[in-house]
Amino acid sequence: MDKHQQARILIVEDEPMIAFTLQDLLVEAGFKVTCVAAKLEKALALIESAGCDAAIVDANLAGVSASPAAAALAARGLPFIVLSGYSPEQLQGAFPAAVFMKKPSRPAKIIQALKSIVYKQ
Amino acid sequence: MHEESPTELLLLTENAELRTRLEGAEETLRAIRNGEVDAFVIESAAGPRVYTLQGVDAASNRLRGEILAQVSDAVIAIDGQQRVTYANAAAERQYGIGASWALGQLLSKVYETQWLPGAKAAAETALHERGEWRGENIHVRLDGRKLHVESSVTVLRETVDQSAGVLAVIRDISGRKEVEDKVRVSEIRYRRIFEAAQDGVLLLDPDTCRITDANPFMTELLGYSHDQLVGKELFEIGLLKDEGASLKMLQKLKTEHQVRYENLPLKSQRGRHQEVEVVANLYDENGRAVIQCNIRDITERKRVEEHNKMLMAEVNHRSMNLLAVVQAVAQQTARVGDPITFVGRLFDRIDGLAASQDLLVKNEWLGVDVADLVEVQLAHFKDLIGTRVLLDGGLPARLTPAAAQGIGMALHELATNAGKYGALSNSEGRVQISWTVSAGNKPTFLMSWLEHGGPKVAPPTRKGFGQMVIGRMVEAAVDGTAEIDYRESGFSWKLSAPFAAALQ
Repeated sequence: MDKHQQARILIVEDEPMIAFTLQDLLVEAGFKVTCVAAKLEKALALIESAGCDAAIVDANLAGVSASPAAAALAARGLPFIVLSGYSPEQLQGAFPAAVFMKKPSRPAKIIQALKSIVYKQ
Repeated sequence: MHEESPTELLLLTENAELRTRLEGAEETLRAIRNGEVDAFVIESAAGPRVYTLQGVDAASNRLRGEILAQVSDAVIAIDGQQRVTYANAAAERQYGIGASWALGQLLSKVYETQWLPGAKAAAETALHERGEWRGENIHVRLDGRKLHVESSVTVLRETVDQSAGVLAVIRDISGRKEVEDKVRVSEIRYRRIFEAAQDGVLLLDPDTCRITDANPFMTELLGYSHDQLVGKELFEIGLLKDEGASLKMLQKLKTEHQVRYENLPLKSQRGRHQEVEVVANLYDENGRAVIQCNIRDITERKRVEEHNKMLMAEVNHRSMNLLAVVQAVAQQTARVGDPITFVGRLFDRIDGLAASQDLLVKNEWLGVDVADLVEVQLAHFKDLIGTRVLLDGGLPARLTPAAAQGIGMALHELATNAGKYGALSNSEGRVQISWTVSAGNKPTFLMSWLEHGGPKVAPPTRKGFGQMVIGRMVEAAVDGTAEIDYRESGFSWKLSAPFAAALQ
């Protein structure tokens, strides 16, 4: 993606405090947050309607695995970051092709990682 | 007198002959006893044999006395009147008496006899019929000490029918009995441990590799009866995979005396799969080798280990998540104010998060009662509860963990604002906190925070963290809507959420 284009980001996160703070963070960094989804269905619907260019996905949505959302993103060739309190080993390969970041992660690192997957920097 | 039959005549003749022979024998015995005979000759099938009798002269008597004195068993003789006529040195020691005192005493003065059940009658019969008895009983000494004894008693006959007394050789077997008793107690005790053990125990003969004994837990574990187990080899009951494994274990046992298998899959007779841990030891049992295998069913332990691992992972996940929330709160709090104000506000908010977290853990993450949540989030104003802060919860309502976290944070912000600018910032304002569930097709959880009597209200000039928390954040947490009104007469906050999203 061209770095002069504003990338549209989907945030899949069930913890509102984290989701809104992440949203503020991304907006300040120049991204457009098209959706904050706390539930899998909402996330899948947005991905299906091609409403985003990349995503930040929490692995666990109130006990429900977000891996279908990851699979849907991967199927469309959309880059995404998995942000989770679980370690990659604990997730046991349910999120292939993902950039993994452990919660809590520093905001600057998240922005940096997002820029690198969106603009391939 | 009636006429005697030929048979009777024959019997009479025989009787007369027997009487003559008996009289002769008695005369002989009397002569022997009196020392009138030095020796006699008996015709036997092997020809005549000469028996020499020791004289009953003083020298011979002394010799007999010496012999009896040296004997380690107690020897006591009594006459027909139960009076002691002889007691050797061992008897003196055994009963703690002096022979000079004992002679002439009634035997019952020397010791009291306690018979084992049924023994007394048996002894009397034996003495009467055979003239001797051998058996065990208890003698109680004058000092009360009990001796377990084994006695050999012979009737001394002066003449054929007249009982002249008895001679008893008495051995103290208390020591032996004590050892036997200890062995028996030990056997019962360890047998009970074996029988009641909650581990399987197998005993094997190292020469044949076959099972010689198995405890009840083992039969329960495998589903084989005791009889089915005895005689089998380990691989035959599915504990080792084949004869080769059995031999390997034996070899290792012989060199190392212990073999341990941490995880052996075991299939019981009933087809149940279990995980077992086996420890085999080679022991020496009084010069004979025996293999003892302890088999522990670790299926449950494995399950608990897995469960604990899962719980630990979950705890870790939740703490990471909570840290991420704290990070987000810190970031949001940092948007306004100077560093000192920031630290104060951040700490207040962390206190609020900690209070909700504490409640959740106390409730095992199964939800939190609204009244409890209100109480912990209004801890600063607990003295005003019931007077200026009125709670009105029509019924107990349990919030889901996510709703509890969101509403908890909102209550914290509402209370902080009320204390700083609202109804709790002066001395007469009031706050009414209510919650209820509306009936109908779509049951809804309703919660409200209504302030009265505070300073005149003005809407905030900018959207801060508090607005976000009591607005879109709590809305997202309960999938509901929050209505916020900065009316001049008093601030109000009304939350409504689908029952299923907010309550358990």
